Amino acid sequence: MIKKDHKNDTDSLLEVVIKDYRAYPEMGIKRCLQCGLCTSNCPAARHSDYDPREMVKMVRDNNPEIMDNPDIWNCFYCYTCGSNCPANNSPCIVNQILRQKILLKGEKNTRIYKFLTYGYSYMDFGVGSIPSDFFDALVADFGQMYVELKINLEDIRHDLGLEDYNLKGKALNEVKSILKSSGFTNRLKKFKECHES
Amino acid sequence: MSTTQSKLEKNHPLSKDQEDTRNPEKVGVFLCRCGGNISHTVDMAKLKDSIQAEFVGEFENLCSLDCRRHIREEIIERDLDRVVIAACSPITHLKTFQNYADLLNPYMVEMVNIREQCSWVHSDSEKATKKAIELTQAGVEKVKKALALDKIIRQTEKSAAVFGGGISGITAALSLANQGVKTCIIEKNPTIGGNMVKIGKVFSPEKLAEECSLCILNPIINEVINHKNIRILTKTNLLRAGRRSTHFKIILEKETGFVHEDLCIACGRCVEVCPVDVPDEWNQKMTTRKAIYKPFSQAVPDVYTIDLENCIRCGKCEKVCTMGAINFNLKSEVIPLKAGNVIIATGHESFDLNKRPEYGYHRFVDVISQMDLARILGVNGPTQGELLKISDGKRPDRVVMVQCTGSRDEKDDGKRYCSKVCCMVALKHASIIRERFPETEVVICYTDMRTVGMYENYLRYVQDKGIKLIRGRPGEVSKKDDKLLVRVEDTLERKPLEIETDMVVLSEAIEPSPSTMRIAQKFNVGLSQDLFIKEKHSKIKPVNTDMERVFVCGTAQGPKDITDSVSQANAAAAKVSEQIKNGTEAEPPVAVIKTSRCNLCGKCMDICGFKAVYRDEENMAVDPMACRGCGACAGLCPQEAIEIKGINDLELYAQIKGLLSDKKEKEIRILAFLDNVGYTAADTIGNNRLCYPEAIRIIKIPSINRIMPHHLMYAFEHGADGVLMAEYPDECMLEAHKAKIKELNESVKNQGIPSDRLRFYKAYAPHYRGLAQQFTRFFEDIAASN
Repeated sequence: MIKKDHKNDTDSLLEVVIKDYRAYPEMGIKRCLQCGLCTSNCPAARHSDYDPREMVKMVRDNNPEIMDNPDIWNCFYCYTCGSNCPANNSPCIVNQILRQKILLKGEKNTRIYKFLTYGYSYMDFGVGSIPSDFFDALVADFGQMYVELKINLEDIRHDLGLEDYNLKGKALNEVKSILKSSGFTNRLKKFKECHES
Repeated sequence: MSTTQSKLEKNHPLSKDQEDTRNPEKVGVFLCRCGGNISHTVDMAKLKDSIQAEFVGEFENLCSLDCRRHIREEIIERDLDRVVIAACSPITHLKTFQNYADLLNPYMVEMVNIREQCSWVHSDSEKATKKAIELTQAGVEKVKKALALDKIIRQTEKSAAVFGGGISGITAALSLANQGVKTCIIEKNPTIGGNMVKIGKVFSPEKLAEECSLCILNPIINEVINHKNIRILTKTNLLRAGRRSTHFKIILEKETGFVHEDLCIACGRCVEVCPVDVPDEWNQKMTTRKAIYKPFSQAVPDVYTIDLENCIRCGKCEKVCTMGAINFNLKSEVIPLKAGNVIIATGHESFDLNKRPEYGYHRFVDVISQMDLARILGVNGPTQGELLKISDGKRPDRVVMVQCTGSRDEKDDGKRYCSKVCCMVALKHASIIRERFPETEVVICYTDMRTVGMYENYLRYVQDKGIKLIRGRPGEVSKKDDKLLVRVEDTLERKPLEIETDMVVLSEAIEPSPSTMRIAQKFNVGLSQDLFIKEKHSKIKPVNTDMERVFVCGTAQGPKDITDSVSQANAAAAKVSEQIKNGTEAEPPVAVIKTSRCNLCGKCMDICGFKAVYRDEENMAVDPMACRGCGACAGLCPQEAIEIKGINDLELYAQIKGLLSDKKEKEIRILAFLDNVGYTAADTIGNNRLCYPEAIRIIKIPSINRIMPHHLMYAFEHGADGVLMAEYPDECMLEAHKAKIKELNESVKNQGIPSDRLRFYKAYAPHYRGLAQQFTRFFEDIAASN
């Protein structure tokens, strides 16, 4: 069933997504043919009922039920769906826009809890990296290979002519101060309290 | 009119009046009542009395055959040398009256449109009569300056060069040869036949069958070999192409294969001794061949050739050749060729499957392309037609086909278009597999099955053989133990699947070939956005390129199947034949370059969107067949070496002055320069009896590019209150238009004329109401500001 509201196009979910600053200008959500390539590649879809194709369809149909769908919180932003979408759409970005919209309404704040550690990691090191909290899980999944990578990372980067990727000193302080004045730090705190209460 | 006089006039338009002292021209004016269409609004008696000319006559229906006699009689009796027909639109009847007045040169006949531009659009009889008088008198003044011109007949050389020896090139060449045209097929590979010989079977939807491609093609190839009008050059590339007025001068290079084609009897002894193994292109590199080889048994020409890149020059083949056909000193040969016409039939290439690494084409041996599968299923292929896996030579239990690999893909290295044949190719191979190896299951993963028209019958026929269609585009092919794993979502079931299979077949996109692009560049032929050869107009000028006498057919123009390629090839041959048979006729206006003044700066060549200007050895030249006489080049030429024949400056001045004459105090006059589309729209305003102010006076021009600042100044100096220029925005001249609009706007500004007195309007034939509104609005704006 197509539930698109033709009369009120400007307020449709599709328009909200397209007009969001996260959406890039040539994002092909209107050209999606529902081929399902995104879903076939999606690690979250492989391990849960999350279906990026279906999510895009519901946005296009202006179906508000997508906002209550618990599966959309299973995406962890690997961007594979967007990297080979033949319509140049990015379900991952669509997902981010939907989540932000939900969070801004003050709903489902607890859903974000498992991602909070990324935020803290960002505040601590000034770059987006895999938080140390995940170390044990990654070793369980990838075994010794991951341990060795972690141990030798600096040497590997050195051999490749790359510098240390963690920010230090002034730069790190600048990032921290930006995060603080932009409200990021406070928001993180709020989400944490939400979960704990 | 001599060149110097014309030159003088161009620089000093106002000196024109002093110059009218030659023998006065004898102009006859024929007024048409048009069965009341004109005479009900225009006072014909007053019109007749007001016109000053050698003869003025009034007739009921001038276009009737009866009036043909009158026109002829008056021309003879009064010794008229020019004629004005004041009647309807020249678009409908100029040819008629040029014919009625065929005692005179056709360019001595001027038509004044007092129906569509006067009686049908103005209701006030007095005003309409006044306008009719002024229009007609302006016509008289204009025709006095007319120059007799000859039609330009261009007889193209009766020969053709066909680039590409695939099914398209062969078909086109054969059609031309059968019509008596000397045709040369130029093929870069050692054999003709192209992709069609490789694919083994072709789909035949009308018969619901698959037919042997070589069996269909062989008789045609034999005909080509034996045709007295066809010359075949294999291993030959285009070095240079030069454009001349009636032909192309083509320089080719035939690569040496160290084998005398005339001496080789294709016995094959050489192959037995050759120590070098090379992956065989004929079998998609699934087998090997020797460095001396014949691409396949039925190759044409039937000779062996040496692959210079891989040959180690050991000389063993030379020793065993009893015919003495092999000679390592043979050099590549440069061949000049003169061809009246060119057909580009250079075909396509397959999408590079390495650009989709997620499908593992190069990582997994049993991930193959549809062309690979075609060779495997071919009885002359690597497995003699047995469906076997390359990895272990075993029969696959299941084959999964992945549609749209590289097609319908917006990612950077993908092709945005649909490759058009892959759905049918996949079905063809599914059909063969299900027929011959029924124990093997076929799964096709698709986004849309595009089996248009009658091809839908074929889809049903193959479905009946038992295939599985999954509606979803796979994201990845991986390996699990000894099986391949295809990840796809069954989108109709909302179910992500992991299909285990033994063989994956990728339906590779068709893409433009680099050699097509090279040839296009050498002939200065335009490419489409997707880098195929662009047709001049896909609806009304298919197979024409934007270059005169260069045509295109087959997949060089875009993805298509054999059926469509053959149709296009025949169409291209018909178009070449049209050029050759009677010659083509160009009508002025056309640009003519005075070579003596030209300094070869090439600005004319750059501005011309019709590609009419070219460099012919030492000179610049204009192809009259391609030229539209728009005048862009003439306006730009720093040497003033270009003249537009057919609408000369004196005619323009006379018409401008005539249309502005007898202007009363406070009367407004607006000149409207309209191109053919604008003029047609103005005619339609008349046909629909819409009204606009009498102030509008229309001048038909080939393009606004014909109008120079001095024409505009002349109009304003002679009392024009406004000038409107309306033209259809022709895609290939947009840049020239923009430059022209800028130039004219600046000239008006520099002369201190208010900028709102010059307007530009985009004309569209069906949007005549817009033009009528523009006429009225312009008039009202000027009336308000005056």
